[in-house]
Amino acid sequence: MKSYEIIEHTADIAIRVRGSDLGELFCNAALAVFDIISKRKNINPREHKKIQIKQRADNLEELFVNWLNELLSLAEAKGLIFFRFYINTIGNNSLDAIAVGEKRDGYAVNKEIKAATYHELKISEGASGWQAEVILDV
Amino acid sequence: MAGFWEGPLEKIDDYRWRIPKSYKPGMRVPGIIYADEKLLKDIRNDKALEQVANVAFLPGIVKASLAMPDIHWGYGFPIGGVAATDIEAGGVVSPGGVGFDINCGVRLLKTDFRYDDIKDKIEKLVYALFSDVPTGVGSKGDIRVSEREEREILLKGAKWAVKKGYGSDDDLECTEENGAMEGADPSAVSERAYERGKAQSGTLGSGNHFLEIQAIDQLYDRDICDELGLDLGQITIMIHSGSRGLGYQVCDDYIKSMIRCLQKYNINVPDRQLCSAPVNSPEGKNYLAAMKCAANYAWANRQCLMHLTRKAFEKVFAMSWERMGMRLIYDVAHNIAKIEKYTIDGKEKDLCVHRKGATRAFGPGHPVLPDRYKKTGQPVIIPGDMGRNSYLLAGTAKAMDETFGSACHGAGRLKSRTAALKSINTNVLLKELESKGIIVKASGRDTLVEEAPQVYKDVNDVVNVVHNAGISKRVCRMRPLGVIKG
Repeated sequence: MKSYEIIEHTADIAIRVRGSDLGELFCNAALAVFDIISKRKNINPREHKKIQIKQRADNLEELFVNWLNELLSLAEAKGLIFFRFYINTIGNNSLDAIAVGEKRDGYAVNKEIKAATYHELKISEGASGWQAEVILDV
Repeated sequence: MAGFWEGPLEKIDDYRWRIPKSYKPGMRVPGIIYADEKLLKDIRNDKALEQVANVAFLPGIVKASLAMPDIHWGYGFPIGGVAATDIEAGGVVSPGGVGFDINCGVRLLKTDFRYDDIKDKIEKLVYALFSDVPTGVGSKGDIRVSEREEREILLKGAKWAVKKGYGSDDDLECTEENGAMEGADPSAVSERAYERGKAQSGTLGSGNHFLEIQAIDQLYDRDICDELGLDLGQITIMIHSGSRGLGYQVCDDYIKSMIRCLQKYNINVPDRQLCSAPVNSPEGKNYLAAMKCAANYAWANRQCLMHLTRKAFEKVFAMSWERMGMRLIYDVAHNIAKIEKYTIDGKEKDLCVHRKGATRAFGPGHPVLPDRYKKTGQPVIIPGDMGRNSYLLAGTAKAMDETFGSACHGAGRLKSRTAALKSINTNVLLKELESKGIIVKASGRDTLVEEAPQVYKDVNDVVNVVHNAGISKRVCRMRPLGVIKG
């Protein structure tokens, strides 16, 4: 089962993601973004590249947007697709994580996401965990 | 997420509607939407009009938060939005008012060919273009540049490309800003942006970007057509692309910095994606210096794309592009912020004009226009969808008075990508296009369906509004023959 769902938006892509805790929410959002961008081709595994990502922000919303945008930016600059994420520490204002990626030639890259946006961004904690809604500019 | 917009709309005339300033406390000016009743029905179906009202909060905004008839729901600004702020009165610049794809824009070139000359070669041309013009997500071009050269691109834009032999001085004269904005500062651009932009010069990109071979199927203003050397059945080529990864990164970097400006400069906006800073603040100046770099990168990119197009035609017809008459009509930006002079309440003012999915449409006699367009007004290029039409319009004096010299930028999206994927079959779509004599090649699996004609408003309806409202006038209409997409 996918860890996210697509919500209707006229021009861009809006997604809803869930996670049992904040770390899982951030991981699932990142997985969703790269699942939308590409599909893995059925070929031999490529060399894995691990990149440490440290972010600081004034609040949780900024941290969330910065996290996704840093991943999108790194993926394009380095020619990678990220497929696994480990959150070492996370709070409302900072995170320390590892993103694992592979070269793009192992993937059918289908869509370009320019960035995650603040418009109608919602992050909330409920009885069953965390949920976020975010609009991605495509 | 969407839903019918219930807010107040007052009819000004058949083509203009007002969201009164009283709609939301904090609006500094009203919203004015250019549309007719038919288009308005669709426009009310998402949150675009709420975004028009939100833009009216920007400090220094003058006259109105404007929306063109192709308006649709964006993020922060609506797509199809125009907002001008008074710099002297603390007016702001907002990276969200330009968008991630800085200087996304279109260029139109003509040829000496008639439909009959090329009708048997369209497929060959589409394949040649698809093979020679890099398309698709993260596509890399054959036009490789060193880091020193990348800095030069950011400073000199299309002039860099012409100096490299990818075009002529004539091309520069027919490009907005002559292909390069002054005041670009490469040191305002982050290392990451450089890295993202590297190897993407001369690439079309993906999504709604395209390269299209067209035939003129309707003339509206014979005098202007004669002036521009355009006639029925003549073949034109349209190129739609932007600043690629470099522009996205510039926008992302400065949104991060401007989020902090909301508190620093006490700016109250209902959406953080509208974060902004006074044009004259250090943050505002830095953003504009970086935005200009990305804009110049985009002009260089479209110049390179045109060069590759000319080369592909040369290959197919074994003739030089000059002999085929492949001359640029014009190149316009439709995601940009510009400092321009307007008379407001009898006083000449420097305004920061944001055009987010809107095209500059300067009227006849404007001093920045090249001599050849002083009489006609600026060529305004409006791409439609791949199954219907595109337009060439000309700017008017009325646009200078009413819309800060701006008009629409395209057809405007009607349906979401998910709705398109659910309801449209690729093979059926290709057959439909083929039956109309349109050949399409696309890189991305879903691109065709997501960009199908039925997901867009009818560009004819959109252009009717800008023409009838007088903010641009119809010159001629084109129909697509061959399309390559990312």
